[in-house]
Amino acid sequence: MDSKLKLLKEFYRGLPKDRAKFETCEHGFEFLEQLLAGGAALEYGEMSFSGLIHKYKLSRVPEELVDELLISHLNYRSNLCLYFGHKSNSLFCFNLDNNHKTNNTAIIPEMELLVTLLREGLSELGCEPLIIASGRGYHLWCRLAAAVDNDSLYNLMLGSTARAMLGLHKKGYDHNKIKANFYPDPRSRDIVSLRLFGTEHIKNKVFSRVLTREGLLDEPSSWQAFEDHMLEKTIGVDTFSGAHAAIMASFLKGS
Amino acid sequence: MKTIAVDVDDTLNDFSETLRTTTFAHSAAYNITPETFDKYVEMLRSGHDQPNDLLSTEYSYFCYKIHCECYKLATARPDAIEFMQWLRANEWRVVIVTYRDLRRSNELTRKWLHDNEIPFDYLFMTLNKLEFCKAWKIGYLVDDHLVNLVQSNEPGGPQVFYPVMSKHKTGVIYRGKGFENFNELKQWIQN
Repeated sequence: MDSKLKLLKEFYRGLPKDRAKFETCEHGFEFLEQLLAGGAALEYGEMSFSGLIHKYKLSRVPEELVDELLISHLNYRSNLCLYFGHKSNSLFCFNLDNNHKTNNTAIIPEMELLVTLLREGLSELGCEPLIIASGRGYHLWCRLAAAVDNDSLYNLMLGSTARAMLGLHKKGYDHNKIKANFYPDPRSRDIVSLRLFGTEHIKNKVFSRVLTREGLLDEPSSWQAFEDHMLEKTIGVDTFSGAHAAIMASFLKGS
Repeated sequence: MKTIAVDVDDTLNDFSETLRTTTFAHSAAYNITPETFDKYVEMLRSGHDQPNDLLSTEYSYFCYKIHCECYKLATARPDAIEFMQWLRANEWRVVIVTYRDLRRSNELTRKWLHDNEIPFDYLFMTLNKLEFCKAWKIGYLVDDHLVNLVQSNEPGGPQVFYPVMSKHKTGVIYRGKGFENFNELKQWIQN
């Protein structure tokens, strides 16, 4: 447990820890008052239609509570989701969701192709992502050696996704079937958060498995891939700058 | 401690009237033509759902933007403000419970409540308010939504009260209890 906790903290070291979204089955005023006892504030709560899952957006989260929430996350009792920094970040993430109202946990052909195109496009630029199954699709995490301003991160994500969407379109698929969100997004602050790796999804109880070119890994292999990615695939700032310049240049040329 | 859950739109404010009567101005921020804008305003006012099987579309973004406009512009009912202040003065725990997507409207909602001097303890979003009240053991729910009035008063659920509006005068028998003025509600819940 200690090593997993340490690994999670190291991987996500660049994300602010003073605000978080906590997803759990626990609820009730006694529980809420305990959660807030150390000084955290509830921005808002949310209950799923079934009444089984409760989500709490917290601010002013004290450090001790972050540790408690991470341990609960690792014990599969809850999901911890973090927000991104307002100005710069040392992580960025593509969130690809199946955009259908129904049966949206299915991996549709558009999703399979888009995730492949994005992986290959980013890898060519030296920014290989860690791809994690998310419930309605995938999260593609890229970890940087140092923080980069949000506008540059967003432009790279937007440009590389536009390229990949074009590839999807050329193959005759409808890009509207997938919703792509980018984190951080300079147009919005503290609105959306992302679930961290290392737990079961609170709703479907499926572990956040890593997707490699060979397919989805099991839980122990996913942990290994997570660690390996952090050690071997963290992106240098110069590499990122080169990737960003290449993406921007390709759009100026109209390709 | 006594706890009450109170809805915002068409309960504390005049959201539907605001949506119906406001002249919304087209701008480039909507990313659609003026003709599409006018068509979408009409669709939204008529209560049209999304015209396809997709979650996130041009129309859903439009609805979100217009709803946010209404959240800002809606007028608070004076008797509702007075009622909410009475709850605070009498040490009730007050939970605002709404269908709004608070991920995107948390700040707007808080600002509107603050500007109208409406006190509350917690803010929750859910599409199932009766189940929420059951789960959180909340004895009273004030809400205009027809579904909650038809299905209310189940064992373990809250007593439901609603501000009577024209949409409630349909001949359907509601289990919830309607009021014209929040002062009536004050009398009922303090007994």
